[in-house]
Amino acid sequence: MFKYFLILSLFVSSIGFSQNSAFKAGEKLSFTASYNMSGVLTELAQVNMETSEVKTSKATLLRLKCTAATYSKWDSFFKIRDLYESYVSPTSVKPYLYKRDIYEGGYSKFVQYNYSHSKGTVKSLIRKKKKGGGTYDQNKTLNMSSGTKDIVSTIYYLRTLNLSSYAPGKNISLTVLFDNKPTEIVVTYLSKETINTNIGSKSCYKLAISVKNSNVLKGTNDNLLWLTADENKIPVFAKFKVAVGNGELKIKSATGLKS
Amino acid sequence: MRKLCIVLGIISSVLALVLSVLPLSNLAYFPAIAALVFGFIAFYMSNKNNQSKKTIQLVFLLTTIAFSISIYKSIFNTVEVGNTEELEQREIKSEEKAIEELEELDLDIDDLDIDEKELDIDTEDLNLDDLEIE
Repeated sequence: MFKYFLILSLFVSSIGFSQNSAFKAGEKLSFTASYNMSGVLTELAQVNMETSEVKTSKATLLRLKCTAATYSKWDSFFKIRDLYESYVSPTSVKPYLYKRDIYEGGYSKFVQYNYSHSKGTVKSLIRKKKKGGGTYDQNKTLNMSSGTKDIVSTIYYLRTLNLSSYAPGKNISLTVLFDNKPTEIVVTYLSKETINTNIGSKSCYKLAISVKNSNVLKGTNDNLLWLTADENKIPVFAKFKVAVGNGELKIKSATGLKS
Repeated sequence: MRKLCIVLGIISSVLALVLSVLPLSNLAYFPAIAALVFGFIAFYMSNKNNQSKKTIQLVFLLTTIAFSISIYKSIFNTVEVGNTEELEQREIKSEEKAIEELEELDLDIDDLDIDEKELDIDTEDLNLDDLEIE
């Protein structure tokens, strides 16, 4: 009897500690990015989001990897081969290392952030191409507030939130470090909605995303994200408003889910 | 009015043709439909006044070509990702470098403690299963 009690108490305490019940290593999500103008869809690129385990001598971390590659018909016009990575704690999704290595139509850039949570600083490295050839490095140490994340870990962090307890209209503010600037993102829980996706009809949490003091995303409540209303909280659909028409991100396949 | 329709018809049919050749071929439907509308208006007016229809025929010809290219592309062209070999190489190299970087970083001990606790729970759960089998 005592043994069962011990197991139960350990299990309950583990729920208190671990926040991430949404994803594990080995998950692979594949999306199609497209441009929608009055219902006519033009497919632009494939976006993949993968998780894997990374072992160092001190700890085991989770590698969150996002890649974007344009479809072959676009390659001769505007080729995109982007790689975004974040190495995070498997339980709290706290980032330790962030890497962004992009190639977009001839322009390439490399960004790396080394987080030091104990000191509250981020060591940033930006590597750009020189005009004459070769590269140059830009090193900086930035101060960060606690809870600052990068773009990749923020997307995954949203999945760890307990959205089922949220009332419609509830806001959450998150600080995202992008291009060496801390940017505040406000996520609003709107409602529950059932939508049709490539992986079946899903009941979803509908979230609106806005960026404070920036005009990157247009309109209010026009930039939306749908997360499935189950334990996995998979992002199945995203919509963002651009000057003419909409940009869309639709799920194509999802494998290696936690539950 | 007839002249304006012909000019607009030619502009939209040329635009439709250009778009249909580009990867944005799906968007060619919009100017193609506009070209057809302008073409029909101009055709109707020319018929009424017994005027030449040569340029209107050109509008229809260009629009038909644009339509056929767009429809052909949307039916027979499947979307596929181009060559990502270079990207995959970058991914592997990046992970190798990242492990080196992470070795130098000071990782929080708190998180590691949680990992160990979770491992303990797993073994306890296993014990429970064993008991149930018995």
